[in-house]
Amino acid sequence: MKLFFSNIKKYYRYAIRSAKAELKSEISESYLNWLWWIIEPLSFMLIYTFVFTVVFHSSETYFSIFVFIGLTCWEFFNRMITGSVRLIANNRDLVTKVYIPKYILLLSKSFTYLFKMFISFALAILLMVLYQVPFSPTMFYFFLIVPVLYVVSFGFGLILMHFGVFIDDLKNLTNIGLRLVFYLSGVFYNIGDRLKGTLKYVLLRGNPIAFVMSEMRKVMLYATQPSFEGLIVWFVIGILLCVIGIHIIHKNENSYAKVI
Amino acid sequence: MLRKRKEKEMTSKKNKTNEIANEKKIAITVKDLHIAYKGLQKISIRAHLLKLKPIKKDVFEAVRGVSFEIEEGKILGIIGRNGSGKSTMLRAIAGIFSADKGTINLHHNTVSLLSIGVGFNKKLTGYENIYLSGMLLGFSEEEIKNKEKEIIEFADIGDFIYKPVKMYSSGMYSKLAFAITAILETDIMLIDEVLSVGDTQFKKKSYDKMRELISDDKRTVIIVSHSTPTLLELCDEVLWLDSGKVKMQGDPKTVLETYEKEMNG
Repeated sequence: MKLFFSNIKKYYRYAIRSAKAELKSEISESYLNWLWWIIEPLSFMLIYTFVFTVVFHSSETYFSIFVFIGLTCWEFFNRMITGSVRLIANNRDLVTKVYIPKYILLLSKSFTYLFKMFISFALAILLMVLYQVPFSPTMFYFFLIVPVLYVVSFGFGLILMHFGVFIDDLKNLTNIGLRLVFYLSGVFYNIGDRLKGTLKYVLLRGNPIAFVMSEMRKVMLYATQPSFEGLIVWFVIGILLCVIGIHIIHKNENSYAKVI
Repeated sequence: MLRKRKEKEMTSKKNKTNEIANEKKIAITVKDLHIAYKGLQKISIRAHLLKLKPIKKDVFEAVRGVSFEIEEGKILGIIGRNGSGKSTMLRAIAGIFSADKGTINLHHNTVSLLSIGVGFNKKLTGYENIYLSGMLLGFSEEEIKNKEKEIIEFADIGDFIYKPVKMYSSGMYSKLAFAITAILETDIMLIDEVLSVGDTQFKKKSYDKMRELISDDKRTVIIVSHSTPTLLELCDEVLWLDSGKVKMQGDPKTVLETYEKEMNG
């Protein structure tokens, strides 16, 4: 663990620089460049809103923003997971040429995803102004919920990154898994209203993304307090996942170059 | 970072005094090095499910029990057939592979592996890659900034430096890679077959730069090459690897002559 922190200290400048460079390169080749960071989440929100208000007659209050917040949390988690599975293989050039603690690659990636998530949340706030959603001080709990989401995603990401090196089909498996989690997370429906009994309880409590999403909506849209014990529990689980992931990676990272 | 540099300066000062005392200072110690590629193949879940028997483990030992030491400032050449474990060993010294058995001690020197590309991110521009590679070699952003101009000048690839690396020709790619490692000087340089990089003009330039770098009596260099003339000219000592073991080690002339004889005979 000490090694982890000294590595972070040594390489965080690299992680930031590489994240910035990657964001820059992402936009430099498209016509609308940075506008895509705004257009993309907005169009997804419009699609889901259309499908679920017009086709399925959903009736959540502020449905567009409801979807948008859910989607923003989901996208971050989704990117972290899909990004980490093939991360080592995608950085083959780097990994086989120079030593770098492998979680620095994930850290750098996560910065780009965080950046996109914050743009998305800025848009969400803009939408809230447009729809005249009353602002409340509970919104500041946002800064409590994001670290939980980050730590949990990072922990899962680390572990998947390790196994992704050795297991080729892990990518397909995670795609299926993610699709399942996506529909069970209530991106476009309220788990609390739609489901009953143990299923509701299990889905809301046992699925970190559903939990984070519903807490985020609580504090942003409905001006209610988040579930603190829930946040603490998931934060601790996230930290545990990170510790396990870091341990596995320290033990194996020098073998990666032999496999890919 | 800064503190580390300072420490390094301190130790190098200390080293100087040490050097006067005993004239010899070891830069790299490799002891009984074993590196194997075993049981680490990619696993396909389908194959795993269909054959319930455990996956057969292919053990391939690339390096089997190599030991040597290099004094600071010396140039060691490594020669051997393809697949004799040369590149594997270089990578292990650079810290990319872990040794299965045995130890590698770099005595706190910084190390860079120069093998056609320092590890570029192909989507990014050459300019960004200078910084990222440099930082991975252990330099700070300021140090790289100071040398940035020199690197770009040496690489001599014109405006391409501001274009994504994926647009580079293989020559340009190697030129930039060489420039980065050559200008950002580390204590130990590991060179894997790069003396034949780029066009004739650049070849000459890089060869001259190599000689300049190598002639620095603080820098330790390991060169892997198939070219006996180059090794004969540059090296102080040559190590002949044959299927993962040291076959011969010593004075370049004797080792290379025997090597040539066996290859041709």
